[in-house]
Amino acid sequence: MKGRGALAAGGVALLAAAGLPLVVHNSFVLHLCILVFLWATLGEAWNVLGGFAGQVSFGHAALFGLGAYATAILYLRAEVAPWWGIPLGGLAAAAVSVPTGLVAFRLRGPYFSLATLAVAELMKLVALNWEWATNGPTGFLITSLPPLHLLGLPMDWEAKAPFYLAALAMMGLAMGTVAALSSSRLGAYLVAIRENEDAAEAVGIDTVRAKVVTLALSGFLTGIAGGFYVLYFRYIDPDAVLNLGISMEMVFIAVVGGLGTVLGPLVGALCLTFAGETVRERFGAGHLIFYGLFMMLVIRFLPEGIWGRASKLIDRLSPKEARPGAPRG
Amino acid sequence: MGALYAMIGIGLTIVFGVMRIINLAHGEMVMAGMFAAYLGQKHWGLDPFLSILLWAPVLFLAGVALYRFLLARVLPGGELNTLLYTAGLSLLIANAALLLFSGDYRTLTLGYAIVPLRPFGIAIPVALAIGFALAVAITTALWLFLGRTDLGRAIRATSQNREAAILMGIDVDRVAAVSFGLGTALAGAAGVLLAPSLYLYPTVGELVIVKAFVIVVLGGLGSVPGAVAGGLLLGTVESLGAVYVSSTYKDGLGYVLFLLVLLYRPSGIFGVGRS
Repeated sequence: MKGRGALAAGGVALLAAAGLPLVVHNSFVLHLCILVFLWATLGEAWNVLGGFAGQVSFGHAALFGLGAYATAILYLRAEVAPWWGIPLGGLAAAAVSVPTGLVAFRLRGPYFSLATLAVAELMKLVALNWEWATNGPTGFLITSLPPLHLLGLPMDWEAKAPFYLAALAMMGLAMGTVAALSSSRLGAYLVAIRENEDAAEAVGIDTVRAKVVTLALSGFLTGIAGGFYVLYFRYIDPDAVLNLGISMEMVFIAVVGGLGTVLGPLVGALCLTFAGETVRERFGAGHLIFYGLFMMLVIRFLPEGIWGRASKLIDRLSPKEARPGAPRG
Repeated sequence: MGALYAMIGIGLTIVFGVMRIINLAHGEMVMAGMFAAYLGQKHWGLDPFLSILLWAPVLFLAGVALYRFLLARVLPGGELNTLLYTAGLSLLIANAALLLFSGDYRTLTLGYAIVPLRPFGIAIPVALAIGFALAVAITTALWLFLGRTDLGRAIRATSQNREAAILMGIDVDRVAAVSFGLGTALAGAAGVLLAPSLYLYPTVGELVIVKAFVIVVLGGLGSVPGAVAGGLLLGTVESLGAVYVSSTYKDGLGYVLFLLVLLYRPSGIFGVGRS
């Protein structure tokens, strides 16, 4: 998975995936794919900070909710079309991450994690109680989306296909960013920070700046995903988007897939979404039970994640031509 | 509430002190205690406060088993992995409860605790008063256990300096198992005591765990007196905040306090834990 070959392979895979709605018309399958792309984007965004830089955030729901609320408020109150609102939501999340990061990154390890948790809970309280801006616990309901013509064709917002493509593009953006990051100077800084923060500082890395930039990037991707969530589900309230559960799910996806890998979050999102949705169909409540179980099994037996282990195996089996294969346990 | 908060905090802080991990499943253990009290009363007519004699040992054993069969195996994988492992455990327990009991809100009512006590003209719910008294008793007993018995001393020694404890011939693994059991039993016992005063639902742990973190960090991670002080402080701040600031933002006050302590005094008010 190195260099231009990987990039080309990724592009081809994305194009191939983009053609899926032409072949598959089953809306449940498309819905599942959309969920996978959404969660893979979120896992990717979390992974930038948690996997590469080793800064475990338990508060990413705050950024997700911020993006979602920004998009919804801009659309419903200021009539800003959502496709502008989504990037603006991402920017809003990034803008909030910077001061938060400057303060929270003074803390390390579990203390940082706990601080992010507190920030997210504060954000939820604000969303619940600042009724003027957020409608409080009632949340927002988007009844209709504005018409849009793309390539001369009117968009059908009731169909799954436009959302499918948008989610795919979003995931492509997230993966491309992470791939670019992982081979950049900043990426190397982050790994150095993860492995030994004091040593990284000693060799002259501005660790706070590197971490804040990464958090802003992660916040932007998370915020975009939040905006997409609003458009797709057309309903948000503080419990839906600012829940501790959302933060934890992002962590799980990155960990199950493989911390600090580019493809890991996609693998994690695939496993967890399919397991979760299958159980949800059968039992209704408690579908997250498998998230917990998966998480425990993976940490116990595959601490480097499913994709982390698989890519190691592939490297060992074929050192010359590294190619993506079926993830193996 | 303060004393009950303190009890939850002590459980978390002991586990952190000995094992250097933050147990994210701690809230679910409180939830387990609440449901145990509820089911005990519903099916066997057990008084929730008396049933603590049954549930605390059961939860202790459950905690030891959890440590032995699950946690001990991932501990060598490092702090981060163990932390995430307990997060998985937390989700597993909460959702198992959701499957078993559904997400309904339940209440546990006591025949003798409907009319509040009115000493000095202040209305105090009976259930909370009994819970408070028992929590104080349990905390005192624990204090004596940690201070006066060999096992208690071994726990404190391990949490102060693991290597030195090993050199002194302490079986650190056994100490960790006992501490985890103790932490679980304390969380569960607090849950039993809280059951008559709160709504019961499977994801109540989420609410509890965040408060528990606040308490433990306020007092300093790993410090038992710190957890007591943190619990009392949070209880007081929340009640005063609800009266003098606004009841909707009372939880927010706790978080703000938490962030301030984290930033300016990360070792906690008592300065025992290290950042």
